[in-house]
Amino acid sequence: MRVLLQSAASGILIGGVYALVGIGLTIIFGVMRVINFAHGELLMIGMYLTWLIFSSLGIDPFVSIVITIPLMFVFGAIVQRTLIHRVLNALPQNQILLTIGLGLVLSNLVMLIFTSDYKIITTRYSSSTIHLAGLPLSTPLAISFLVTSVITALLYLFLLKTDTGQAIRATAQDRDAAQLMGINVSWMSVLAFGIGTALAGTAGALVSPTYYIFPQVGSAFTLKAFVIVVLGGMGSVLGATLGGVIIGVTESLAAVYISSGMKEVFVYVLFLLVLLFKPSGLLGRSRM
Amino acid sequence: MALLEIKHVFKFFGGLAANSDIDVSVESGMILGLIGPNGSGKTTLFNCITGYYPPSKGEIIFKGQRLNGLQPDRVCKLGMARTWQKVRPLAKLTVLDNVMVGALARTSSLKVARDAAMEQLRSMRMEEKAQRLAGGLSIGERKKLEVARVLATKPELLLLDEVMGGLNPAESEEIIQLILQIKKRGLTQMVIEHDMKAIMRISDWVVVLNSGEKLAEGEPAQVVRNPAVITAYLGDANVA
Amino acid sequence: MLVFVILAALVALPKLVTNPYALHLMILLFLAVAMGEAWNIVGGYCGQYSVGHAAYFGVGAYATLMLLQYRQVAPWWGVWGAIAAALMISVVIGSICFRLRGPYFVLASIAVAEIIRLVVLNWKQFTNGAEGILLVDIPPLKLGQTLITDWLSKTPFYYLGLALALSTLLVNYLVLHSKLGYYFQAIREDQDAAHSLGINLTFYKNAALAISALFTALSGVFYGLYIGFIDPPGVLGLDTSVQMVLICIIGGIGTILGPVVGALVLVPLSEVLRANLLSKALFVLGLVKETSRLGNFLKENLAHAHVLIYGILVVVVILYMPDGVLGFLRKLLARNVRPLAPSSRPVVGDLDGPA
Repeated sequence: MRVLLQSAASGILIGGVYALVGIGLTIIFGVMRVINFAHGELLMIGMYLTWLIFSSLGIDPFVSIVITIPLMFVFGAIVQRTLIHRVLNALPQNQILLTIGLGLVLSNLVMLIFTSDYKIITTRYSSSTIHLAGLPLSTPLAISFLVTSVITALLYLFLLKTDTGQAIRATAQDRDAAQLMGINVSWMSVLAFGIGTALAGTAGALVSPTYYIFPQVGSAFTLKAFVIVVLGGMGSVLGATLGGVIIGVTESLAAVYISSGMKEVFVYVLFLLVLLFKPSGLLGRSRM
Repeated sequence: MALLEIKHVFKFFGGLAANSDIDVSVESGMILGLIGPNGSGKTTLFNCITGYYPPSKGEIIFKGQRLNGLQPDRVCKLGMARTWQKVRPLAKLTVLDNVMVGALARTSSLKVARDAAMEQLRSMRMEEKAQRLAGGLSIGERKKLEVARVLATKPELLLLDEVMGGLNPAESEEIIQLILQIKKRGLTQMVIEHDMKAIMRISDWVVVLNSGEKLAEGEPAQVVRNPAVITAYLGDANVA
Repeated sequence: MLVFVILAALVALPKLVTNPYALHLMILLFLAVAMGEAWNIVGGYCGQYSVGHAAYFGVGAYATLMLLQYRQVAPWWGVWGAIAAALMISVVIGSICFRLRGPYFVLASIAVAEIIRLVVLNWKQFTNGAEGILLVDIPPLKLGQTLITDWLSKTPFYYLGLALALSTLLVNYLVLHSKLGYYFQAIREDQDAAHSLGINLTFYKNAALAISALFTALSGVFYGLYIGFIDPPGVLGLDTSVQMVLICIIGGIGTILGPVVGALVLVPLSEVLRANLLSKALFVLGLVKETSRLGNFLKENLAHAHVLIYGILVVVVILYMPDGVLGFLRKLLARNVRPLAPSSRPVVGDLDGPA
């Protein structure tokens, strides 16, 4: 029973981070209808950025987030303007291929620059645990969850209460109508991709104390991010939040009760099931 | 027995009744005009009949066979073909290839299909355009191509959805002549149109839809004078 | 005709050229052509962009090599196992994925390939997992008492590869000039319109996938036999799937010769990188000192950069040449030869003229 609770708790903690990844992806899809297959690589870049700051400046990964977030945002904005912007009206298959190509470029550039050697970030608290209700939880994961909650809350506030946030939501709901109402939809697309990238990078920063850092680490996250987004409903931020936690728990339980190597298979099978039987996800709109 | 019987057909999208208790009989050889304001459920009815989606309630009987939810390709093979409100050319294929795709519904031989397609194009005076890419045609040419393509499937019942939409008077006249010619060949047609004059000229019978329901039906001259129909189109103030 | 001259030259080549590296390049070229032509059927003609085609490639390779290595089944029998496995999988994948459209289909195809890769990776007793299968040797091919080949040189692989490439080209040609080809392209252009014209979408999409899967699996078998070593990332990974798509889109998607052009671009490019020819050229030309930091960096890393180049190529092609090299050339020619007339070249049929 303890094992069940503990793995479920771990799953929720990591689920928070997954949620960040999913929210970023769903915002990008919601505003631009682009399926960003390079999302995992954006997360990977966040990890390497955090590692660079840690190893050269000694700044704790949870602190350096304040540097990582704006940097990733700018990076995302640049990527949007130079690449994504050009395929907004292309065939969806071509859009996916473009982002697949982008992902390959990012992961292989990083491999060229940093080599494939695993990097790790060890802090004083990397392997310590805190105890909540008698259950031991990994300290870095717990801190991640806290940070994630804060960021998610801020994001919700931004989207619900600010003018810009509402403009983004309007663009996601109906691009043409938004444009007719005077919203600069191109700028919204830049913002959306920037935010999505920043969230992915942040997720990367948050997991960097607990994961091995290597160029290919992104690919596992990409497909997982898609599962989360499809599960929660493409374009639904709340759905992505829920989806992230569900996937985190599912994966954690599968790793404990079935096998660590096959846990991803579980997630992918869930993905296919959702695509086939409930394509609109838990909370989103059907796109098919 | 009528060629096509639409019996008490309903189509719901969530809470919205796009088609509500629609009852229409299409006799063999006739041209039936289907009219009504925008959003009255005309295209929805076409989609239900041709299997794009099944009706929520009711029966669709074609040549004595119950269709309800039969896949569109099977419906076509049975002899019912439709054109689309928003033209759908197979853009990267040539005009000839487009019509051949239609013809291949009735044969597996490319040669037979090609001959049939050329014959179709010739009868519509489009044969010089045979090698042009469908994507490069003007709207009028695309509409004609769509009709040619669908005629190549050798239908008994042809459903035309606003085939004159967006055409200039000369092009519309061409289409009207085409429709009358098709009737002479023995085909039955159901035509959705907004052009009242055209409907008056070509229809043997007219059915009026409004807000998903059948508002009126009858001979064209009668329907056009029906006060309820005039109200539906033009509003109360204009009832003569 | 030009075609016969080229064919004769290809058949005669191993007699004239004995450099094993040259033969190796040609074999890689044949393999790339086969992979591209196979994908073209479902992706180019039918418009279903599967980015999970490595599933068939890998299953083909694994089926035949496992039968050979563990059950001593000669590859000319084992290949039937590969074909059967690929066809079965294609039916399953088709029934799952073809309900989905556009990007969702792409994602599902990737997910399925990943599931297969992970299963093969984890099913250690069966497939040897991450260590892969190292082929010991291929039994000699005999017809009655005469020895045809003992597979010890590159020559038999050259002819086998040539036969594979030619057969995929032939299949492409036959499909294109048949009812299948017309229906596949109709589905690509407008699925709903095709449906309403009497085309059974499920049947024809699955037919396209089955044909494509078959030849992709054959390519996998050939790869396994020639290279002699297979492992999950090598034959079931996303890289392999992307490569197949790339070969097609570089050359020109939906054309018979497109994948040939794509192969002619991609194979020399990756080999130049892999064999460090580029770095060596830079050193020889004196542009970079071999012992300098840059020189060492290039020597060590350029060899691994070929996937990076794939990625860059994908981006460049999608942005600037979505119709591939052939499409680009065609537009160029149309503009120069007939500046005022609309493009009137028929697309159904090969580049030699109207069908």
